Amino acid sequence: MKKSIGERIKRNEDPRLLTGRALFVDDVQLAGMLHAAFLRSDYAHARIKGIDASAAREHPGVVAVFTAEDMGEDWAPGPSNVAPPPGDVVFHSRTHVPLAKDKVRYVGEPIAVVVAESRYIAEDAVEDIFVDLEMLDVVADLETALDPDAPLVHDDLDSNLAAHLIQDKGDYQAARATADVIVTRKIDIDRGAAAAMENRGVVADWDEKGQQLTVWDTTQAPIPIRNGLAARHGLSQSQVRVIAPFIGGGFGPKILLHYPEEIMIPWISIQLCKPIKWIEDRRENFHATTQERRQVHEAEMLLTREGKILGVSHTFLHDTGAYDPYGLTIPLNTQSHATGGYHVPNYHSEVKVAFTNKMITTPVRGAGRPQGIFLVERLLDIAAKELEMDPVEIRKLNFIPSEAFPYEREIIDQAFSPLIFDSGNYQPVMDKAVETIGYHHFINEEQPRLQAEGKHVGIGITPFVETTGVGPYEGARINIEPSGKINVATGVGTQGQGHFTSFAQIVADQLGVDVGDVNLVTGDSTEFHWGTGTFASRGAVVAANAINASAKIVREKVLKLASKILEAPEEELELEDGYVRVADIPRMSISLGDLAAEANPLRGAVEPGTEPGLEATAYFGPQYGAAAFGVHAMIIEVDPETMMIDIKRYVVAEDCGTILNPLILEGQIHGGVAMGIGNAYFEQLIYDENAQLLNASLADYLVPTACEIPTIEVEHLETRSPLNPLGTKGVGEAGTIPVPSLFAQAIENAFPDHDFEILEMPLSPNKLFEILHKKEVGQ
Amino acid sequence: MSDLYQLSVTINDTEYQRSVEPRMLLSDFLRHDIGLSGTHVGCEHGVCGACTVLFDGQPIRSCLMFAVQADGHEILTVEGLGTPDDLHVIQEAFWEAHGLQCGFCTPGFLMTLVPFLEENPDPDEAEIRHAISGNICRCTGYQNIVEAVKLAAENMRA
Amino acid sequence: MKIEGEYTFDGPREAVWEIMRDPEVLASALPGTQSLDQVSENEYQGEMQVRIGPVAGLFSGNVAITDEVPPESLTMTVEGRGKPGFVKGTGAVQLIAQESDKTLMQYEGDLQVGGRLASVGQRMMDSVSKSLLKQGLDSINNALLARQEAQSTGEKVEYQAPSESEFAASVAKDMAGDVLTSRRMLWIAGAIIVIVILLAIYLMSRG
Repeated sequence: MKKSIGERIKRNEDPRLLTGRALFVDDVQLAGMLHAAFLRSDYAHARIKGIDASAAREHPGVVAVFTAEDMGEDWAPGPSNVAPPPGDVVFHSRTHVPLAKDKVRYVGEPIAVVVAESRYIAEDAVEDIFVDLEMLDVVADLETALDPDAPLVHDDLDSNLAAHLIQDKGDYQAARATADVIVTRKIDIDRGAAAAMENRGVVADWDEKGQQLTVWDTTQAPIPIRNGLAARHGLSQSQVRVIAPFIGGGFGPKILLHYPEEIMIPWISIQLCKPIKWIEDRRENFHATTQERRQVHEAEMLLTREGKILGVSHTFLHDTGAYDPYGLTIPLNTQSHATGGYHVPNYHSEVKVAFTNKMITTPVRGAGRPQGIFLVERLLDIAAKELEMDPVEIRKLNFIPSEAFPYEREIIDQAFSPLIFDSGNYQPVMDKAVETIGYHHFINEEQPRLQAEGKHVGIGITPFVETTGVGPYEGARINIEPSGKINVATGVGTQGQGHFTSFAQIVADQLGVDVGDVNLVTGDSTEFHWGTGTFASRGAVVAANAINASAKIVREKVLKLASKILEAPEEELELEDGYVRVADIPRMSISLGDLAAEANPLRGAVEPGTEPGLEATAYFGPQYGAAAFGVHAMIIEVDPETMMIDIKRYVVAEDCGTILNPLILEGQIHGGVAMGIGNAYFEQLIYDENAQLLNASLADYLVPTACEIPTIEVEHLETRSPLNPLGTKGVGEAGTIPVPSLFAQAIENAFPDHDFEILEMPLSPNKLFEILHKKEVGQ
Repeated sequence: MSDLYQLSVTINDTEYQRSVEPRMLLSDFLRHDIGLSGTHVGCEHGVCGACTVLFDGQPIRSCLMFAVQADGHEILTVEGLGTPDDLHVIQEAFWEAHGLQCGFCTPGFLMTLVPFLEENPDPDEAEIRHAISGNICRCTGYQNIVEAVKLAAENMRA
Repeated sequence: MKIEGEYTFDGPREAVWEIMRDPEVLASALPGTQSLDQVSENEYQGEMQVRIGPVAGLFSGNVAITDEVPPESLTMTVEGRGKPGFVKGTGAVQLIAQESDKTLMQYEGDLQVGGRLASVGQRMMDSVSKSLLKQGLDSINNALLARQEAQSTGEKVEYQAPSESEFAASVAKDMAGDVLTSRRMLWIAGAIIVIVILLAIYLMSRG
């Protein structure tokens, strides 16, 4: 039977999604359900002097209004999402609160919640709540957040310093003394939104008689949400069922553990013994769903005159927003990627994480990696210019050689473990990208010709690494039903990555069934209650290998039982088309369904020491994360008048280990690149000097449309990961990571007569015009 | 509270009589009153296109219309386009070409494309991209949606 | 947000000063003003219906006047709060006598805006506030002319303040000019004009 792994298999989940029959959280309808709306702060920083909700409580149709005070003893800040860093790292944990008490710390922070018969009424009544607020000075700017006279986001701290971490490899200062070339630049990166098409939402239903809490939640981490809710409400974990049904895109922010609404809606359901629904609207999503990217770096690269990198150093500020529940994940990822795929013998990094009066930052597709890659690739481009070297050659000169893997970076990663790149072969990936885009032909022939015609065309080529597939673990339970269908349950959750299909392929190959006969359940804590979540490009690595392990055990059980029934040795059996056959005697066979029935007899005796059914549960946890690699190349034309861009070619050469399903893999890359293009040229969350977000709508925050995104040509190479049996590496975030650097390169390259450098992201036509213009005025 | 208005509307060939508040949005009416939750709401201000349905055959944003405005009109939602066992040719092409990931924006794309392909049986890539430029998709980068439209057009012509 | 500009009134400085300090005229000049009461010599309190693109709602707030040098200059501190958000700012106003009994008004101010006004209304804020100011000042100027005519003829001349709908339509017109400069926003401009006109029709039918 043909293996399905590596094939372009259509997705199992699509018919339901295509016909409007897939369940999303807002589709949940329960009898007697009430609707919640939140009153959110209009102020970035203000003291709450009093709340008068009496008019709202009297509003017809309103059932209840809750403020922090009404929560009494149940009011408690949300949990920290990641373990605290090792002892010698300064880290002040201040986690988000369910409803603001005493003070509001960002625009959009919830102050009160109204529960009413309809969402319309709830929103009306929200406007009847009067909050007496005293405006406070605002910490709006990351660069001044740590000034001694800056207002304090958290009054009990001496400053807005949330964390301070230094990482060193080798001896940077010593290397500096020997360097031929030193490139020093300031890198400035601003915030963007994940902007998943589905906003967040929670439906909670407390069954008082059954003492059971059921929560439908747009979360990427259903099991940790379940565990947290149980702990918060003093319930056993089995009393709480969290379902993450179809999720309309996640991209990171849907993983924050216990957003205020994820705390409040279940809590209200328990108070009122009624099902409660809250669905975020788009404006709330802009204000109250986490964001990412803001960092300011003082960066430096040391090189020999031959172009060999001697060292990289960067001292940077990272904006965590008003709270820091996600610890140091983003800045640690930035550090992990700040030397890219290069062998850099000396490295120094110092990060200060600052609280500001803005929404919390947590990973958004890319998660600190785009900043690191932007930094190292920009410095390398500038160095190449100074050394008059070809940008491709200087990169090839510095790649970690294939024989150096596993390669120890000698710093700690986001899990506070030593960072190791498991495997890789970077040179061929670079060659593939160079060849596919026709790099040399373009710079030698096409570009001069087009430039002579007065066109501003440029090329960029950016390699990147992506650390993926981090632990701790995922698990899966697989069983064969008497119908012959295979059920797979895992706790990882899904947000559109095709898990229903790629995971099914693994099972199909192990058990010799059609992919369509494998039914996957994910994100329902009752079906499978161990797991971490879908983030950090880990589905294809951690969950897939757990499923593979589990399927292997079921296969062993199948063979053992079939061997007994068919009276043939296991080695002579093969699994094909839903049957176990004796290889040489095809008529001697039994279907998996019949075998499953035999494994669960109604009468008779089951042998001692055996288990009924054809079922197995297994887990997988990698020793450490797998490092994927890729190169993006782009040819761009810029209109010098409007600064609008036209992407002529976009090539991705990627190596993410074993490919489970190229169709899905390419889809992940296309979407990642599209988001990267948004990050590079269209999407920026614009805050004013009082930390008011000025573009909180999809009319003002420009998510790219089909007219801005080019056709993306994808080339695959495969270097297996030695860390897991399938050999997979993650790819979910890969598409996004190198795009800002690629844009900077290609745009600079398109204006050879202009002396300017792009050191900030995101760009926009306006900003690019200013950068080009400013430099000209400066001359 | 405001008075309720009687309305009579045909949705996916079924006639519905309901009384609604005048401020009830058509999108909310379809999703919550009628229970056709395949029409999704992504932005509530007419930009993302997820809530697109056909109103007397024309694509409209159901988040920008009131339910009462549909009185006496005919609406087609994604549920009326095809079923899992009997997909519409455009749905089939989306499946084939991997034109969806999370699937949230998909109903809006499909409903935008039905009249587009009727009027443009052989569109080129630029026309396709222009046709879907009022629908935002965050997952696919649009490439496979464009492929799906090409495939659907081809299959419709055959 | 910074606001600055100038405006020429068709009247002598003293008359301009006087009319500016008349709450009744101010209230009628600023469409949407539901009430404006003088609570102390230099403080007014009032309610105003504001409409900025998709953001509309009732604002309540107060205006305090300080550093008054009649009839030359004053400083205004405005604080308003309403369902659509909040506004807080100070502005300096200077009146300069010109030839042939005209008065040049120069103003500059700094405005802090928050809530829905900022997050959704921002793109239109600049245009709308310019338009609001221009029309408000035009109205004051018209009132000024009416008052001067009344004084010269001895007859009372009725001054008709613009209606809320006329006002909304004017704002839409002013805004379209600004917004149309960006090609990408063309359709939005169209949509906004339609919405504002619809709002205006709705208001008229309600009134």
